[in-house]
Amino acid sequence: MSSKSGRSINIYALTWRLPIIFWQFIFFVGPVLFMVAMSFFLVKNYRMTEAFEFVNWSKMLSRGYFWDSYWYTVFIASVSTTCAMCLAFPAAFALAFRASESTRRWAIFLLIIPFFTSYLVRTFSWFVILSESGVVNAILGYIGLGPYTMLNTNFGTLVGYMTLTLPLVVILQTVTMANIDKTLVEAARNLGCRPLATIWQVILPLSKTGLIIAAIFCFILSFGDFVAPFYLGGSQEPTLPILILDTTKSGQQWPRAAVVAIMMMLTLFAIAFTGIALAYRKRKGAK
Amino acid sequence: MKANRTLNVILGIYVALIFVFVFAPIIFSMIFSFNSQRFPTIPLGEFSTEWYAKILADPDVWEAALNSLIVSTSTAVIATFLGFCTAYSDYRYNFRFKGPYLALILLPPTIPLIIMALAMLAWFSKIGMSGQLYSIVIAHSVLTAPFAMAVIRLRLNQMDPDLEAAAWNLGGSEWATMRHVIIPFCKPAIFSGLFLTAAVSFDEFAVSWFVSGLNKTLPVIILEIVQGNIDPQVNAIGTFVFLISMTLVVLAQVFFASRQLKSTRT
Amino acid sequence: MSAPLVIFDKVQKTFGDFVAVKELDFEIREGEFLAIMGPSGCGKTTTLRMLAGLEAPSVGEIRLNGEIMNDVAPHERDTPLVWQSLALFPFLTARENVEFGLKMRGVDKAERKERALKWLGKMGILEFADRDISTLSGGQKQRVALARSLVMEPQILLLDEPLSALDAHLVIRMQAVLTDLQRELGITFVYVTHSQSEAFAMADRVVIMGNGEIAQIGSPKDIYRAPANQFVAEFVGRNNILSGTVTKLTDDTARITTPSGEFTVPTNDVLLIEGHTASFVISADLVHISIDKPVGDNAAKCKLISEEFVGSMVTLFLEDAQGHEFKVQMQERELSKFDLNSGDEIWLSWDTSSAHVLNEG
Repeated sequence: MSSKSGRSINIYALTWRLPIIFWQFIFFVGPVLFMVAMSFFLVKNYRMTEAFEFVNWSKMLSRGYFWDSYWYTVFIASVSTTCAMCLAFPAAFALAFRASESTRRWAIFLLIIPFFTSYLVRTFSWFVILSESGVVNAILGYIGLGPYTMLNTNFGTLVGYMTLTLPLVVILQTVTMANIDKTLVEAARNLGCRPLATIWQVILPLSKTGLIIAAIFCFILSFGDFVAPFYLGGSQEPTLPILILDTTKSGQQWPRAAVVAIMMMLTLFAIAFTGIALAYRKRKGAK
Repeated sequence: MKANRTLNVILGIYVALIFVFVFAPIIFSMIFSFNSQRFPTIPLGEFSTEWYAKILADPDVWEAALNSLIVSTSTAVIATFLGFCTAYSDYRYNFRFKGPYLALILLPPTIPLIIMALAMLAWFSKIGMSGQLYSIVIAHSVLTAPFAMAVIRLRLNQMDPDLEAAAWNLGGSEWATMRHVIIPFCKPAIFSGLFLTAAVSFDEFAVSWFVSGLNKTLPVIILEIVQGNIDPQVNAIGTFVFLISMTLVVLAQVFFASRQLKSTRT
Repeated sequence: MSAPLVIFDKVQKTFGDFVAVKELDFEIREGEFLAIMGPSGCGKTTTLRMLAGLEAPSVGEIRLNGEIMNDVAPHERDTPLVWQSLALFPFLTARENVEFGLKMRGVDKAERKERALKWLGKMGILEFADRDISTLSGGQKQRVALARSLVMEPQILLLDEPLSALDAHLVIRMQAVLTDLQRELGITFVYVTHSQSEAFAMADRVVIMGNGEIAQIGSPKDIYRAPANQFVAEFVGRNNILSGTVTKLTDDTARITTPSGEFTVPTNDVLLIEGHTASFVISADLVHISIDKPVGDNAAKCKLISEEFVGSMVTLFLEDAQGHEFKVQMQERELSKFDLNSGDEIWLSWDTSSAHVLNEG
């Protein structure tokens, strides 16, 4: 039914196939490739001139502040990923194995909502809630604790990252675990596997692929977010996105921002690639 | 069994706590928007619509709202069109380089927005298209087309694979079949895609901020206010944006659900 | 004999390396009810789809009314198909479904409605005209699908296992509906099925396909009584197949020695050579049973293994001393004259004229 590929030109088929090719080549591949090219351009007197020089690369990569920022971003995004995966797991476990089908569907629908609400507004809301005299410290004050400084700390940054990533991670983990064949879990219990051992021996291996994909998405989101570290973390230690922001907005140094952006993309590619390789490695061996 | 029940209760409380964390900022933002205090805390101040009055009197906010409306509706139309074409191509045809073809549409959301923003800004400047409302529309349609594609592709999966051939068999050309069978069948998903892409576009700030120039959308206004100071106006605008986004998402879900209902009935 | 409406002229169809149809060379006559039958994957559906233009032949020609159809697009043909999945448009009502083909052909609104209602009436589902497809029962949907194809008033109607989704009792009803319709309209029906009972109950002629080739074409009776080869004999079932060596040839009979005994069969123009192997079949309903050894050439002593009742018919499954299986079909009241239990030994016998020699091995 599908392939009429033998015929020379099928106008009907091309009508549906070509729009996205044109559009994405001009407005997606174009920008990304141009950004790579731009990292070799020169800036003189606040004007960018097209060139092919490695000066931006050598300048950026030889600066200590770039590498400080780089490793800090990798570190904080890793911590964020670990936190999100661990915090989400019990909830996803409950939703996947203990909740009814309809509860699960409702929970997932509710967790989708935050994606379509302004992340900025939510971050600002945390800013107010977590401030020195904010809601959290007020509540803690009633039981004689605090006040604690939560803003402009790594904790603040992490709260922001969790706001961004937790709903997605819970959804992905829930869907992954809900798709596990329940009889396998029951079989393990039936064979005398204790509950915790069942999670470790049966559920985790079976949901490995989905969990790794959740972790990759979580890392990408945290790694690329400038709002949480900027507003809640106070950007004392600027992350790479903040570096891009500063370099682009204030310094007009687009080529250097491009260097940072490319370094970010390479890092993400490497991590996504390793993750996916890990996720599918054992499956292939088993086949 | 008793231990099991205790565990269930603990897990239930834990899930509830996760939801509290996720929804606390949204709900507090709404509460703060009606609160007289400049630095809201507990106990709350008096009920006040001061912040709403303030934003309603601000012509910048009105202009931004109009811009947001134009951007999100235009984005929705373009992204859903692109998404539909791609979903149908993927459903109907097998061809060489299909993997890269699909990557072309599915990749943008996996790249951090700040990078897309920089790349778009540089490219639009290069080709002389920067600083316009349509620059935001173009950038947003690249970012949101995959969402429309996914929703429509799922719908096509539910279609009886013989349906299209049945229409040809009854004398419909491929074009007529597209018009009288494929599009009517996908209609709920098309609406779902329109609302979904509009909602994503309506909230996006990073790319908008970079490429918009002087044409600010609501999220860009919020960003600029937040950069300056603590100003509860943000909560008022935020609540307003939230309500619009929610309406769009709920509408998308209604179409999504109605179509699932229909498919379970058949 | 009526003129050929469709001619398959040395048609082949390959999908990459996979050969779906090896070589088809047959005719479909005007006004006949033709069933194409075979196991799944035998190429029967591909054959039908080629006729509807949904697949193009890789080699050969398909002619309809003498015109070569190979390059005619599906929508330019007049070969409506009733689909296995029915493929009704879920977003249209029953009447709109029936109108669809007319709409595509540019028939105006009033006439469309009139003709659709006429056909819905003919199929006895007029009261469901404005109902949503999803609210109809399986049998009603089936009738909508038929009406949707027949409203085009085609010369030929293609049916691809249309009854496979129905309950058994509905299948019998729909078979009657289909044969009545075909006789009344006088148009050609091409009916693809894997079900022998459907094909034999309705068709004037049956095409048996196996492995992308035609194994036999003939009336249901021909195929049942005189299967052309081992494949057909086995596919049709309800047959006893015996193989052995030809030991003696006369003008019109042959003596064949098998592990189960020595039997006489009519040669029926099949080329048999003394000393070579040959196979023959005897329909299960032509085998007699007796307690004592019968007189005559063809008899075998067997042990009763089991019985299977379908309505008033019973099938006995037996085994001879060599373990070869025999089947006997008879009326239940006939069987009740004997008092048989599993394990009892009885004699089977048949007339020489009941045996049928198979072509090839």
